[in-house]
Amino acid sequence: MSEIAIHLQQVCCIAEGRALLDVGDLSIGHGERIAIVGHNGAGKSTLLRLLTGFMPAAHGRVDVLGRDLNGSPAPRELRALRREVGQIHQGLHLVGRLSALENVLIGSLGRVTGWRSWVRHFPVDEVVGAEAALHAVGLLARATTRADKLSGGERQKVAIARLLVQRPKLILADEPTAALDPAAAGEVCHLLAQAARNATLISVVHNPSLLPLLADRVIGLKNGRIAFDLPIATVDDQKLTNLYRPDEAAPAAPWPMTASNPSKLGRRQIFSNQV
Amino acid sequence: MSVHALANHVVNRFSGRLGFLGLTLIYVLLVAACLGTLAREDELSLGRNPLANLVKTVGEFAHPSFLDVWFGNPQLEYKSDDGTVLRVENRQEVEADYLAGLGRATWTTIRIATLGSLLGALLALPLAVLTARNLAAPKPLAWLAKGVLDIARSIHTLVFGLVLVGIVGLGPTAGILAIGLHSMGTYGKLFAEAIESLDMAAIDAVRSVGATPDQVFFNAVWPAVLPQFVSSHLYVWEFNIRDSTILGLIGAGGLGLLITEATSLFQWGRLSTVLIVIVLMVSAFDAMSRRIRQALS
Ligand SMILES: Nc1ncnc2c1ncn2[C@@H]1O[C@H](COP(=O)(O)OP(=O)(O)OP(=O)(O)O)[C@@H](O)[C@H]1O
Ligand SMILES: [Mg+2]
Repeated sequence: MSEIAIHLQQVCCIAEGRALLDVGDLSIGHGERIAIVGHNGAGKSTLLRLLTGFMPAAHGRVDVLGRDLNGSPAPRELRALRREVGQIHQGLHLVGRLSALENVLIGSLGRVTGWRSWVRHFPVDEVVGAEAALHAVGLLARATTRADKLSGGERQKVAIARLLVQRPKLILADEPTAALDPAAAGEVCHLLAQAARNATLISVVHNPSLLPLLADRVIGLKNGRIAFDLPIATVDDQKLTNLYRPDEAAPAAPWPMTASNPSKLGRRQIFSNQV
Repeated sequence: MSVHALANHVVNRFSGRLGFLGLTLIYVLLVAACLGTLAREDELSLGRNPLANLVKTVGEFAHPSFLDVWFGNPQLEYKSDDGTVLRVENRQEVEADYLAGLGRATWTTIRIATLGSLLGALLALPLAVLTARNLAAPKPLAWLAKGVLDIARSIHTLVFGLVLVGIVGLGPTAGILAIGLHSMGTYGKLFAEAIESLDMAAIDAVRSVGATPDQVFFNAVWPAVLPQFVSSHLYVWEFNIRDSTILGLIGAGGLGLLITEATSLFQWGRLSTVLIVIVLMVSAFDAMSRRIRQALS
């Protein structure tokens, strides 16, 4: 826990003239298990993408696994970092046209290079490892099924198997249980926790009941800023309710709208406020 | 207001419902102008007695030469004016010769289409890579490639053929080059679209494990693009098999030559035989390529 895995200082992410993320100071030790919570659009995914260089910081210092991500880091540097970071994304990042097993083997691309990786002729030990990973998530029977023929939950599990094969030092899981039924959600959380035994785990979670499975420390994001950063034991329903409640400064549009109650909001925003 | 904002403004104008209405109106006016001017020039007539002509033509086409010969009288007698038989011709033998020639011409047509399509696809590939917007090739190169593809697409195979016959002489080579040059434009467009509709999530998936650009290409881009390439190749190839039948008209050989012959000798029965062969060939290829495309999707 002494080693620092991630360190952010005065980081700001800006897109289309809007600050998506504005973090004063955040440091995460190696081996910590962090959950990030916050409303839709709070900047949770943006924060995770910042950590792997998929989203540049407008200013500030970003250090991940001892690598400096400031300015525009060299592609080689970014690739070296990404090999050590396992990611599970909201968009279920799999290659649809490849089989489940091949998708899992993508996790070994950091170790398998050259022509072997071009024709996907992986060494036997990697294939064995990938099959073991698929077995661990209970999908060995579907190994040859194409990823775009799998259900949402099955894809999520394939992504986790890929993570097991990648053996990363840092795991970023963006709503890993989004498409799963309650039983599968619990199962996937256990798998993630297992994969993260020797790694740092940062996950974005919406379901409060899953928090204890995945985290010791909870960071609440609100409009791109850190609202709280507390050990899991001190996070209660009241704090979460406060976090998800819209700001007083920007009250929700009254519903239904009336002539005396016009709104400048677009249709989409109105619906998202309803939820 | 910046130029960019102004451009956006104009585009928004045209994408609204009113804009669509305006475009529809312009289209209706264009159709009306086409019809109106043709009518004024008195070019919309169907000839003197279209119905009788139609019946006559259909009647002649209903007797394909090979059926006529096999089920009709096999002996054709050439008689002099006083009735003595000069020569007896076995029509079946003549027709068999003709069918053999038809077979050779079909094979020539298939060869022209196949090699021409392959040539077009190979020429188009680098140009498509340059024009695909998401690959962001250097602007001048992209424009140049797009220009070449647009020109190739807008010049008809037949025109290319006429020019090429003058350069490389009569024969299949001119046909192959003509097909290749024209379909290069079609291929380029289809290939570029395949590249542009790439699944970016798959690319991100592979990039997110720290894969090198070559690994990203072979594990995310290639698997996604290859089936689309094969599918467009089959599609254009099939189109070219149809298209290359016409090339005989300009002396490139193949079925078109037989069509010219039959029409200029008014042998509608033979023309009917040739057309039956073309229909069979095209639908056989179509069925085959559809199978393959289904298997690939
Ligand atoms: N590349 C981008 N360009 C412009 N705006 C962006 C970009 N990426 C994200 N945003 C915006 O930044 C805000 C935060 O997005 P982010 O994806 O981080 O939200 P989130 O907290 O993950 O929400 P959710 O719970 O819905 O996943 C959103 O308002 C989004 O529209
Ligand atoms: Mg998100």
